[in-house]
Amino acid sequence: MAEIRFAGYGGQGIIRSGIIVGKAASLYDNKYGTMSQSFGPEARGGACSSQLVVSETKVLYPYVTNSDVLVVMSQEGYDKFEPELKENGILLVDENLVKHKPPRGDIRVHLIPATRFAEQLGKKIVANVVMLGFFTAITGIVTYEAMEKALPGSVPEKALDLNIKAFEKGYNFGLELQKKQKDPQ
Amino acid sequence: MKADQRDVLSGVYYIDGDVAAGYGALAAGCKFIAGYPITPSTEAAEAFARIAPKSGALFIQMEDELASVSAIVGGAWAGAKTMTITSGPGYSLMMETVGFGAMLETPFVLLNIQRGGPSTGVPTKTGQADMMQARWGSHGDYGLIAIAPESPQELFDYTIKAFNLAEKYRCPVMIMSDECVGHMTEKVVIPPAEEIEIEPRRWYTGSPDEYVPFKPDKDLVPRMVKAGSGHKLYISGRLHDERGYPVDDEHYKLKYVRRLVDKIKCNKDKIIELKEEQIDDADVIVVSYGISSRVAIRGIEMARERGIKVGSLRLVTVWPFPDERITELAKKVKALVVPEINYGQVVFDVARCCHGNANVVLVPHGGAGVHVPDDICDAIVSVAKEERKIEEVIEFKTKLEISVFGGGLKSKE
Amino acid sequence: MNEIITTFAQALEKADVKPDQVCVPSDILFEPETVKRFGFDYFHTTRGRAIAFGTGLKLANPALKVVPFAGDLMTIGGNHFVHGSRRNMELTVICINNFVYRKIAGKSAPSAAQKFSPYSTFEEPFNIPHLGNSCSAIYTARWTALHTEELAASIAEALGKKGLSVIEILAPGPDYYTGISKVNVDLVRFYYDNSEIRNNEDPKNVGIKPDSRIIVGKFTSKERPTFIDQYNAQLSSVLGEKFIPHGIRSGADPGGKNGGD
Repeated sequence: MAEIRFAGYGGQGIIRSGIIVGKAASLYDNKYGTMSQSFGPEARGGACSSQLVVSETKVLYPYVTNSDVLVVMSQEGYDKFEPELKENGILLVDENLVKHKPPRGDIRVHLIPATRFAEQLGKKIVANVVMLGFFTAITGIVTYEAMEKALPGSVPEKALDLNIKAFEKGYNFGLELQKKQKDPQ
Repeated sequence: MKADQRDVLSGVYYIDGDVAAGYGALAAGCKFIAGYPITPSTEAAEAFARIAPKSGALFIQMEDELASVSAIVGGAWAGAKTMTITSGPGYSLMMETVGFGAMLETPFVLLNIQRGGPSTGVPTKTGQADMMQARWGSHGDYGLIAIAPESPQELFDYTIKAFNLAEKYRCPVMIMSDECVGHMTEKVVIPPAEEIEIEPRRWYTGSPDEYVPFKPDKDLVPRMVKAGSGHKLYISGRLHDERGYPVDDEHYKLKYVRRLVDKIKCNKDKIIELKEEQIDDADVIVVSYGISSRVAIRGIEMARERGIKVGSLRLVTVWPFPDERITELAKKVKALVVPEINYGQVVFDVARCCHGNANVVLVPHGGAGVHVPDDICDAIVSVAKEERKIEEVIEFKTKLEISVFGGGLKSKE
Repeated sequence: MNEIITTFAQALEKADVKPDQVCVPSDILFEPETVKRFGFDYFHTTRGRAIAFGTGLKLANPALKVVPFAGDLMTIGGNHFVHGSRRNMELTVICINNFVYRKIAGKSAPSAAQKFSPYSTFEEPFNIPHLGNSCSAIYTARWTALHTEELAASIAEALGKKGLSVIEILAPGPDYYTGISKVNVDLVRFYYDNSEIRNNEDPKNVGIKPDSRIIVGKFTSKERPTFIDQYNAQLSSVLGEKFIPHGIRSGADPGGKNGGD
């Protein structure tokens, strides 16, 4: 079972990110994926997060208590949720948006210039999908194939190609990063 | 009868509970929803409003909840299957007309995505504190049915069932879901139309001149006709005889209102749906409903890992209440543990049915969240060790309550 | 009340509307004999909800003629009237008004029907035709219960119109419970005697005021698309062929009179 949290601010597609991964896991990877969104005064424009629990069996408790993976795209999200990461948890950070403090020794931090990549692709708005590619490569919680199937219908049809490019950008960056980490030199 | 293909969006979806309920209503043959937006039920109305026009059904946003529920009672008498959707304050506003609908023996469905109360409370977070309001919210005596789904899939499936029960027993049916399930996104499978069973209305087909609107069949439920079809209907929320004519006396009060109660009571066995797990060897049984039963299963697993023989009785239908089954189980076990997201509602009906044969433990939760499974597990473990017979309902001190109130809050043990 | 129902029945005949397609949701309790005599379907709803209930009847089966009879229209049911008018829901609203100033034309009106006002009333009443007209109701009129011919003509005309019409009737309150019919007859006679017919008067000038005559008449009549017309137009413009216009699959269709679907 994996508890995943996506954190950022309203308008970045944080909720959408939870839905896409949850959909990939439950519809195409044959797992159970339960997504809940944080509503509340903070949901409009301000801090925003979505929680996803992915499991081999039915998810009984639907919320994230201690996350295995935290994907952050805002400073506030980072500050608020970094402490809830489990020991050995994975922290994925958009380094263009978040200044990360000296990391906790017990977690694995992976940085990606997601917003810059998205801008290079032509639209800043797809930064969250770059993050999803990165997430898929680093964590392996969902498969590349499942994510590929989950994207159509989850993003505007006109922007599907762009989103696929963004996803692949993040995914390839993640794979290379892992290769480097495994095999420095 | 099978569902109409035009109403069933067969396929596999990743949607939230609210949306699933909207899809379920359409699949059930609902042709008319009137509602007034209120968090956290708005998405259900939105979902229906989006799909209804492609299927010849209609959603209207009324001016308030009083209008919404009045309109769907009217719509039902015009021949349509109807529903309204609300939460918290809106639910309170609808209560008068729930009793009106029950008095007129109108089939309709009310979806309540429960949120934290009282008053405005916590609009965006969960609660289960409307359960007694569902049962007793409108003045006077009447029977009704309430169902508590625990997942988006169930919000689809049980919305259909709610419509079927409403038609079969001609009474209001409450879908008592909550924000957690309503805003939870999961896989939902919508089967082909031919796999969905739909209960048709109990139409009267005899001569219009001989129609007696409130003359019951053997199962105590009368037959219906459509307004505007030449039956000279006289339908009133006032106490009435079988013709519908106003009467005042004790005799009719007893006869008619008794039937409103009895048509649910006497058909209880057909209405009630329970899900039992690991009951056979159990010393302790967790009695729960809705989202709490889902979390409870995890608590039960944890307690089993600690060697406690514990099972689950899930009330899929909460009203009518399964008195007999609880009485029977209370004789076999040491204790019944009731987690609910309130400070004690359904637990008192559990206690009533136990007749002192088992200890009854309430695991309360103030709302704006769900129980953590540890709390349910701890309650199971501690009551399994309890040797005394305790007459009152025992209130279990959860970690959350201890952390908020310190040691100051005393349980009744 | 029976007199008003009789006038209503005459209006149905005049408008060539068959009673069996007529539904009367009402917050006023009519006697069964009255309803049976005239043959429409009658629903005695909760206080103030005649229009809301009627909206449900109409939307679930657009073939019905729905005529809400409202006694609590302006108070507990006020919001439904305002929004029903705005939407132009196809309803012929008959509003029985028994709230009148104590002093009209310098004379005291009997006010025995005002049970909650043992010392008579002093609040400003609603100008119902003006309110209806401001909210875009398509037809407004006011008569006393004794203007039977004019009233029947107004109701008949309103029944032929597509949209929300409101006809205010100055009449005693329902005497079903009070049984003080003598006073009520005096009261309605008093209204009649102190009324003045002014057809086509701007509704803003027809408020009922102390020490002046009661203006009655047919005030306004206009055309405007109904709720269902607007709904069908809007949805088909957005959804095109995917849209099934409302009414096609509604309660009006399959299985004959009693349903059978």
